[in-house]
Amino acid sequence: MIAGKRKNCGEDGDGEDHEEMIKPRLLPSLIKNKEKRSQVYAKLKHDKKTEKRKKFMARKAAESRALELGEELPPKKIPRTIENTRELDETVCQPNDEELFADNDTDEFNKILKQETIPKILITTCRFNSTRGPAFIQELMSIIPNAHYYKRGTFELKKIAEYAKNKDFTSIVVVHTSRREPDALLIINLPDGPTAHFKLSNLALRSEIKNHGNPTGHKPELVLNNFTTRLGHRVGRMIQSLFPQDPFFRGRRVVTFHNQRDFIFFRHHRYIFETKEKKDDKKAQGAKNKTTTQDRVIARLQECGPRFTLKLVSLQHGIFDTKGGEYEWVHKADMDTSRRRFFL
Amino acid sequence: MPRTTTVESPGCPPLRALTSDVLGLIKVVEVHGKVGVPKVVEIWGSPDASRAVVATSFADCRKNPLLAVARKDGVVELLNSLSGDTLNTFRVCELGLTNHSAEEDPVIGLHLLRTKNIELSSGFCVLLIYTEKGKACLRSFPTKDDVSLDDSVVHTFKNWDVSTAGKVMCSSVDSKENYALFGGKAIELNLWDLESCSRIWTSKPPRVNSLGIFSPTCFTTSTFLVKEDHRKVVAGTNNYQVRLYDISAQRRPVLSVDFRESPIRVVTEDLDGHTVYVGTGIGDLASFDMRTGKLLGCFVGKCSGSIRSIARHPELPLLASCGLDSYLRIWDSRTRQLLSAVFLKQHLTNVVIDSYFSAEAPAGDVAEQLCDLEADDSAIEKSTKEADKIKRKLESKNETVESFELTASEDEEMDKQTSLERKETSKGKKSSKSLKRMKRSKRKLENKNETS
Repeated sequence: MIAGKRKNCGEDGDGEDHEEMIKPRLLPSLIKNKEKRSQVYAKLKHDKKTEKRKKFMARKAAESRALELGEELPPKKIPRTIENTRELDETVCQPNDEELFADNDTDEFNKILKQETIPKILITTCRFNSTRGPAFIQELMSIIPNAHYYKRGTFELKKIAEYAKNKDFTSIVVVHTSRREPDALLIINLPDGPTAHFKLSNLALRSEIKNHGNPTGHKPELVLNNFTTRLGHRVGRMIQSLFPQDPFFRGRRVVTFHNQRDFIFFRHHRYIFETKEKKDDKKAQGAKNKTTTQDRVIARLQECGPRFTLKLVSLQHGIFDTKGGEYEWVHKADMDTSRRRFFL
Repeated sequence: MPRTTTVESPGCPPLRALTSDVLGLIKVVEVHGKVGVPKVVEIWGSPDASRAVVATSFADCRKNPLLAVARKDGVVELLNSLSGDTLNTFRVCELGLTNHSAEEDPVIGLHLLRTKNIELSSGFCVLLIYTEKGKACLRSFPTKDDVSLDDSVVHTFKNWDVSTAGKVMCSSVDSKENYALFGGKAIELNLWDLESCSRIWTSKPPRVNSLGIFSPTCFTTSTFLVKEDHRKVVAGTNNYQVRLYDISAQRRPVLSVDFRESPIRVVTEDLDGHTVYVGTGIGDLASFDMRTGKLLGCFVGKCSGSIRSIARHPELPLLASCGLDSYLRIWDSRTRQLLSAVFLKQHLTNVVIDSYFSAEAPAGDVAEQLCDLEADDSAIEKSTKEADKIKRKLESKNETVESFELTASEDEEMDKQTSLERKETSKGKKSSKSLKRMKRSKRKLENKNETS
């Protein structure tokens, strides 16, 4: 039944004249006789398949012909994705925006990003914390340099923020667990905000990743991808301010926050540059090492874990205060009117 | 096909609004044409976070409109809102407030007194400035640099303490500018007589509820509900309540409405004397009928950040709101529909509407228009008389709309009345449209003359 529907909306481009042929025909879903219906449907499906095959072969032939003749290859079609058909957003940061730079120079993260202060992170949990929570925190401690874990006890978060401010911490990270599974991350920037609340999902700890590596203690490099809008920019800077700004490049350790469709994917890798002999060396070996062996440098990655996904729920102005707080951005249900609108 | 553009807004009538933000910039947004798109026309000041605008007050008059701006570093500026020229600046610590420093005791707000601007032509304006620790100062300031304060004119100069403990967070001055209202964290609402600088009324916290739970007082915003009457006061609190106080009736709130689960950030009254617009900390904007406490409706849009300021257009049914989501949004106050939104890049703190703006008057050809003006002077007088008549009618009707305990049927009647009034006002607008245009050009000319 679904396939019948798709007939009308699917396949653009070359398939159009074909579709016009089909259109006057009866939809298979309208036929009541089952045998007849399945027949018609099978034929339709077969036609479609052959058509697709034909198009593919034609494209391939054109390509190979162009290669033979030394002409330019036919342009590759760019698939239409949700990202590249994103709704126009005026809040996307422009590279020549003077006000943006002025804002960057004066915002709350400015001191850390200019390396005037060294980030010092306090990590704590929600009140009830067990199994996967502590394990996650242990790995978080290995990722973020200069992080200190404090037991939550029964302290209020506002009191903890006060304490951390006095002890010159620059951020607080709160891992919230629910049913023994970490499900939210709260990042409070000190001394005067903002506070970001993330939903945490798809957590895979280091031991659950196949062929995982063990990270070294060097200061990691940081990769922030696709934080485009003003809000995204701010969140990106907030994440950036958790890490020291002088990575130790010889440690070859990368922490990635990749934003795609408002989901922030966290990955942690080690990389290595290796010199590899070229593939045509086999022939050279056949010719008994007469040709010079050409070396090729490739980069190899090894994931260290953990692996998780964040989604921004709210960004609060100032320090954590759920009752009397002002929000810079809150996700509301009535914003989700289009799949193609993104906020980060 | 995927939708690659945003939904088009219906557009809004000609309008001029000034917004101020946390980088100390003042942006002028104008809408030209019948159904236009708002655009940033001018930006005044240079980005500097230490000069973030804390509060603004606007004297919306035909000639010499003034904008007073209080900045984070304790500087108060007087600007010409047409050209953006700084007329005068001074530091708050020079005002003789005792034990004052910009870091410990920042300025929270200021108010430009309009009715006392009679001396405005003589180069003075009266400002009410108050700080977080409850020090208030009422003083006249020269709007030109060369005029000194010890002229022959009698100047007001008063300093007093609104409160000694707590934090002042909001204040408002009634339309006749005889009374000022203060409130804040751990400060109950106070009404002060500005003539004698004496407190004439204090509110009382509402009674504890059946569980014996008492919520600490924290007023975040306040306003006078009716223009002609200083006795009705609406206030918003940090614990999600909008309260109505009647000074002549009792000290406890007459009416108290809960609105969602976020602190009320701003309350602005409508012209009709019973509607208020309420903005909250998570970006909900709604209108309430304060006669019954009924929620008239919410302004649904893509508001995602705390609302810091709402401005009502004095003539057209328009509402401008701005806040931490960096958008200036313009709404139809009757249908509660979003007319248009402008992205202004910074966290906005205040918005004011210049009601004497008309888009048709171009910047040039002023002399030509002046000739027209002189010819049409008699016409103007006629139309102003008409406008006055309508105003009088409205006032008499407003007086009937004052009692607050109303039954539902009466309420409906009231609504009918108000709709009638609207019609009348719209008629009045039509007649005074040509008038406005001329007013505008005249005003510009006068300004030019003065500057030259």
